[in-house]
Amino acid sequence: MSGTALLYTDWLDEMEIIFESLLNGLLMGSIYGLTAVGLTLIFGVLKVINFAHGSILMVGMYAAYWCITLTGMNPYLAIPIVVPLMFYFGYFMQQFVIEPVFKVEKDVREPITVIIVTTGVWYILDNLALMIFGAKYRVVHTSVTGKLFELPGDIYLLQPKVYGFILTFISGLLLFWFLKTTLMGKAIRATSLDRDAASLMGVNQYKIYRTAFGIGTAVTGLAGCVLVPFYSVYPSVGIIFDIRAFIIVVLGGLGSIPGAILGGIIVGIIESVGAMYMPSTWTELVIYGLFLLLLFIKPTGLFGSKHDF
Amino acid sequence: MALLKVENVFKRFGGLVAVNDVSLTVEENQIIGIIGPNGAGKTTLFNCIAGAFPPSEGKIVFEGSEIGGKKPHQICTLGLSRTFQVVKPFASKTVLYNVTVGAFAKTNRRVEAEAKAIKVLEFLQMDDKRDVFAKNLTLPERKRLELARALATEPTMLLLDEVMAGLRFSEIEVMIELLKKIRAAGVTLVIVEHIMQAIMALSDHIYVLNFGGLIAQGSPAEIAQNQEVIKAYLGDDYVTVED
Amino acid sequence: MKALADSKANKYFLAAVLLIAVLIPQVITSPSIMQILILTLFYAYLTSSWNLVGGFAGVLPLGHSAFIGIGAYTSTILYLHYGLSPWFGMLAGGVLAAVIGVIIGIPTLKLRGAYFALATMAFGEGLRVLVENVDTIGPLKVNGPRGLLINLTGNSFIDYQFTSKASYYYIILALLLIILLITWLLMRSKIGYYLSAGGEDPEAAAALGINVPRYKVMAMAISCFFTALAGTFYAQMFLYFYPKSILGLDMSFEIAFIALIGGRGTILGPVLGALLLRPLNEFTRIYLGGILPGMHLVIFGLILILVMIFQPRGIQEPLTRLYRRILYRIKGS
Ligand SMILES: Nc1ncnc2c1ncn2[C@@H]1O[C@H](COP(=O)(O)OP(=O)(O)O)[C@@H](O)[C@H]1O
Ligand SMILES: [Mg+2]
Repeated sequence: MSGTALLYTDWLDEMEIIFESLLNGLLMGSIYGLTAVGLTLIFGVLKVINFAHGSILMVGMYAAYWCITLTGMNPYLAIPIVVPLMFYFGYFMQQFVIEPVFKVEKDVREPITVIIVTTGVWYILDNLALMIFGAKYRVVHTSVTGKLFELPGDIYLLQPKVYGFILTFISGLLLFWFLKTTLMGKAIRATSLDRDAASLMGVNQYKIYRTAFGIGTAVTGLAGCVLVPFYSVYPSVGIIFDIRAFIIVVLGGLGSIPGAILGGIIVGIIESVGAMYMPSTWTELVIYGLFLLLLFIKPTGLFGSKHDF
Repeated sequence: MALLKVENVFKRFGGLVAVNDVSLTVEENQIIGIIGPNGAGKTTLFNCIAGAFPPSEGKIVFEGSEIGGKKPHQICTLGLSRTFQVVKPFASKTVLYNVTVGAFAKTNRRVEAEAKAIKVLEFLQMDDKRDVFAKNLTLPERKRLELARALATEPTMLLLDEVMAGLRFSEIEVMIELLKKIRAAGVTLVIVEHIMQAIMALSDHIYVLNFGGLIAQGSPAEIAQNQEVIKAYLGDDYVTVED
Repeated sequence: MKALADSKANKYFLAAVLLIAVLIPQVITSPSIMQILILTLFYAYLTSSWNLVGGFAGVLPLGHSAFIGIGAYTSTILYLHYGLSPWFGMLAGGVLAAVIGVIIGIPTLKLRGAYFALATMAFGEGLRVLVENVDTIGPLKVNGPRGLLINLTGNSFIDYQFTSKASYYYIILALLLIILLITWLLMRSKIGYYLSAGGEDPEAAAALGINVPRYKVMAMAISCFFTALAGTFYAQMFLYFYPKSILGLDMSFEIAFIALIGGRGTILGPVLGALLLRPLNEFTRIYLGGILPGMHLVIFGLILILVMIFQPRGIQEPLTRLYRRILYRIKGS
C-alpha cells in the first residue's frame, strides 16, 4: 500500500519535472525563435543567407550590455536605445557593404558573392570585438538576473526568460502587423515573392532591401537585449546562436516568420527535455540529425511555401 | 497521327486561371501560330508543354506518349525543345559555348558538339559572334541565341516564344526565311509571336488565346477576318513594326 | 586556361613552373619552410577538389572538412585495426566520402542553393560533434576528442610513412597535378559543359535536356572522393590528428574562401588563391597574432569583401590579364 503511494508521488514528481522543463524549453525556444526571425526575414527578401547574423546578435548583446552597465538602468529600458541603433546599423551595412555586390550580380538568382561578403562581415565584427573587448566573458547583474517566478507545484521559471517570451510574441505581432498593413511592409512581402515586383509597385527595390535588412538587424538587436540579463557576452557568442538559427529557419521554412518562432520553440523543447535524459552534446546531435532528416522528408520546413525553392 | 496533342489543359495559379481548357493539335512538319494579347496565357501554355510545371488538368501527348508532368530535360530528350520569352543565356560563357551545350544533347564528344554548334551558328548567320560573351549581346541577338541553342539539340518540334521581338523590318524578313528553312529541314514549329506580318506569312494554322481560353482558330486568312479576334486582339493590341 | 595552353610561350611557362615545383625540395633544406610549402600545396589540392562542386556546379558546399575527416579516420582505423596499408585505406575513405556526399546531395541539390549550403554545414558540424562524443564504434576505436595516433614505422612506403619532408611534398604535388588534370579534362567534356550550364541557369539548362541535379550530385561525388584523399595525407604526414584539427567549420570555410578569392570555376583560381592566401594567413597570424589577436582575421574578412566587390570572379582574372600583358611585351620586343 505504502509502496504504491511512494510510486505515485515519484510519478508526480517526474511529471512536474518534465512539465517544468517543457515550460523552460518553450521560453528559451521562443527566444531562439526571436534570434532567428531577422535571419528568415532577410532571407525572404534577399534570398541570401546572412552569415553575419550571429555577429549582429553579438553586437546587439554588447550594445545592451554597455547600456545597462554604464547607466545601471533597467535592462529592458535599453531596448528603445539598442533597437533603433541596430536598425541603422543594418540599414547602412546593406547600403554600403552588401548592395555594391548585389548590384554587380543582380541577374543571379542566388548570388554566392553576397553570402561571402556577409561572411567577411562576420569575421570582421567578431574579431573587432575580440580586439576591443577582449575574450573575457561578461555578465551583467540586473534587477531581473537570476530572479525566479514560482508557479504552483514547485515550478520555477527564470524571470528574464519569461520576459523574453513575452517580448518575442509582442515583436512577432508588431512585425506581422507592419508587413500586412504598411506600404513598406507590403512592398517587402511582394519583393520576397518576386524580386522585380517591388519595382513594378513603384517602390525603389534597393530601399526595400535596406529597410528589410535594417528590420532584420533591429529584431536581432532586440534578441540581444533579451539575452543579456541571463546570458554572458563574449566575442564569439554569435556562432552558437548562428548555427542554431540556421537550423531553426530551415525547420520553420526559409522566409517564414511564424515558422522561425515555432522552429525555435521546437529546438528549445528538444534541448531542455533532452537534457533530462542525455548529455547536452547529444541533444545537439539530435538537433543536427533532425535537421538533416527534415531535408530528406520535407525540405520546405513547417511553413515554407512550395514555390520557394 | 498528330505529332502533338493538347487536350483540355488547364493551369491555375491560386485563383487565377492562366490556361483555361485549351486543346490543340499539331501535325508533323506544320508551322502553328499562337497569338493573343499580353497575359493571355501563351507562355504558360508553353511552360506546361515543355514541363516547366505540370498542367493542373488535361492531357499532353507528344509522338503518341503522354508527357504532361514530365520534367523539362526528359521532354527535351524526347525531341521537343523550346526557347524562353525572357531570355536565359549562360551569360558568362561565349556564344559558341552556349550553343555547344545544346548540341551535347545528341553526342557525348566535344569535338562533334562544337562542330554541330558551329553549323547551327552559320545557319542562323551569327557565326561572326561565336567568341562573344553572351552577356555582351543585344536583346535580338540573345533571342537568336535562344533559337540557336534549342536548334542545336536537334529537336523534332520547336516551341518559339516571341523570338522576333525587337527585330527591325528587314531582320524580320530574314527570320521568316530562316524559320521556313528550319521547317524545310523537317522540324515542326509552334510559334508565339506578336508580329502579324510573320505569323500570317508562316502559319499553316493559327490559334487565338484570350484570358487563358481559346477564342478562335483557323487559317491565317480566316483569322484575319474573324470578328471576335479583331475585337479582342487586333483592335487595340495590333503591333505595328517600325523600320 | 584554353588560351594558356594554346600558345608555345604558355607551354614553356607551364613547363618552367612545373620544373621549379619539382626542384624546390632539392634546393630548400629548411624543414619549416618545407612544411609551409607542403601545407600550401595541401590547401591548393583541397580547394581544387572543392572547386569541382563549389566552382562549376554553382552551389556553395560549406562542410567539406567532414570529408577530410572521413578520409583520415577511415584509412587510419583500417590501418590500426586491420593493418591495411593507408594507400588502400585512402581509396576506401574516398569511396565512403563519395557515397556520403551523394546521400547528402540527392535531396538537397534539387532545392534552392541555400538548403545545400546549410545542409553541408550542418553535416560538417554534426560529424564533428559526433566524433568528439564517441570513443568506439563497435569494435573500432575513434577516441573522441583525443583523436588518433599512428605508430611510427620509419621510412616505409607501404605504411605511407617517410622520414623526409620531400617525400610528402612530392605526394601532395602529384595529387595536386592529378586533380588539376581531372579538372581540365572535365571542363572540356560534356559533364563540364553541363555542370557550368546548370550552375549558371538551371532552367535554361533543363530546357536543353540536362538533368541538372544529377550532374550536381555527380560533381559532389567526385569532389568528396578527392577531398577524402587529403584526409589520409594529413593523417600520414602528422601521424596524429583529432576532431578539432581536421573537422569543423573553420577548415570548411577556409577551403571555400580560398577558392572564391582565387576564382571559383577556373582551373588556376584555387591554386593561385592557396599560393597567395595561405602564406599571407600564416605570416599575419605569426606577426600580428601576438600583438593584436584577431587582427589577421579582420584582414582576411576585409580581403574577402574587397575581392567580392571589385573582382567577383576572383583574383585569377587580373592575374591572367597581367600575365598576358607581360607575355605580349616580351614578344613585342
Ligand atoms: N508562375 C506564375 N505564377 C503566377 N502567375 C503566373 C505565373 N506565370 C504566369 N502567370 C500569370 O498567368 C497569366 C498568363 O501569363 P503568360 O502566360 O505569361 O501570358 P502571355 O505569354 O500570353 O503574355 C498572367 O496573368 C500571369 O501573371
Ligand atoms: Mg508570354
